Amino acid sequence: MSEPTHNDAKNGHGTTWTYIIGFILSLVFTINAYILVVNKMVSGTALLTTILAFAVLQMAVQIFFFLHLGRGPKPLYNVTFFVGTVGLILVVVVGSIFIMNNLHYNMAPLDSTKKLAQDEAIYQVGGVNTGACQVTHENHKVTIEDDKISPVHVNALLCDTLTFINKDSKVHTIAFGPYPQHQSYAGESDQAVHKGFPITVTLNQTGAYIFHDTLDSQVTGDFKVTQ
Amino acid sequence: MLFTFERGIEMSSSESHEEAANDRVMFGFWVYLMTDLLMFAVLFAVYAVLHDNTLGGPTGRDLFSLPLALTETLILLTSSFTCGIGMIAARAGHKKQVLSWFGITFLLGLMFLGLELKEFTEFIHAGHTISTNAFFSSFFTLVGTHGIHITSGLLWMAITLAFVMKRGLNKHIVRKLALLSLFWHFLDIVWIFIFTIVYLRAFV
Repeated sequence: MSEPTHNDAKNGHGTTWTYIIGFILSLVFTINAYILVVNKMVSGTALLTTILAFAVLQMAVQIFFFLHLGRGPKPLYNVTFFVGTVGLILVVVVGSIFIMNNLHYNMAPLDSTKKLAQDEAIYQVGGVNTGACQVTHENHKVTIEDDKISPVHVNALLCDTLTFINKDSKVHTIAFGPYPQHQSYAGESDQAVHKGFPITVTLNQTGAYIFHDTLDSQVTGDFKVTQ
Repeated sequence: MLFTFERGIEMSSSESHEEAANDRVMFGFWVYLMTDLLMFAVLFAVYAVLHDNTLGGPTGRDLFSLPLALTETLILLTSSFTCGIGMIAARAGHKKQVLSWFGITFLLGLMFLGLELKEFTEFIHAGHTISTNAFFSSFFTLVGTHGIHITSGLLWMAITLAFVMKRGLNKHIVRKLALLSLFWHFLDIVWIFIFTIVYLRAFV
């Protein structure tokens, strides 16, 4: 322990100089990458590639000058382990990015994604409004009692909610569209409304819509949603 | 044992035994670091995939401060350097130098952690929490995991330095310091990639 500096480089330990060189090189790489980005000397992919190259270079410098990898006693199991890890990392990182970009590229067209997002009440996807409501406003109630709907006509604004309340002991299944069609509204269709279990729909599509009981053409009403 | 066998036969048995034990510990710790690196790689992959998904909210470009990130980087880099110099002092058996170099490393680490916490609290006060969107989830997970490593490194450093102060430098303490410095250099390398991929990349 007392006279270590002579053999340090051979034993895989650093000397003051290796640390100073490593430190200066790291500083140069860090500051270069920073200046490139701040001054926008190059742009886009070229800039990204350059700063990634600086990061990898700095990693190499630090692994060599600070961690002294590859300069210890032989055989170098730690180098083997490091190379294996880097291989795994490349597979995981490059593979994930490749797969996810590919998935994104081949995703369903925007209209259907929008529809899906609307149905799930996701109001923005990738900075684009989907038409889904971020907050809901007024609540309108439609009550079904003795096979009669009241009120039959509802006028609502976008992002209001509509609640179906069943006071009969039998189940009323509500479908959208004129009897006997089954259309969906805001991702909902064929909602079974039980006594004591009201169903609420967020009105995130404008227009005039009809709803009815799937088993009874007489039980029907409509609602109008305006902006 | 395996990887010092060839050298072992040339040395006296007690010395080779000591060396072999040392190499085993170092190699074991190296294996830990590599698995830790794999974990970080996965978090980096998650961030790379999710960093655009801000749900219409502000992006990294709107929120990150490059001078702050650069300051953090320089602080951590300097601490990695002082830690290395401290290690040389440890191998040379200079207790006072070890305490001062590692003391500086500790303070720099603390400064780094303070800046990171400052950034995190600013984000959270502005309403950007880990559950705001996928971008912030992956950001806080990646950078926070590194921060937790730094915190545990600082705790470890404080305990080891207390031992150095109390018992002076012996072979075991020097080995502990060597592992600690390996860990600290490793965290600096991970941070280079956080600086590049999270902070710099946001402004490309």
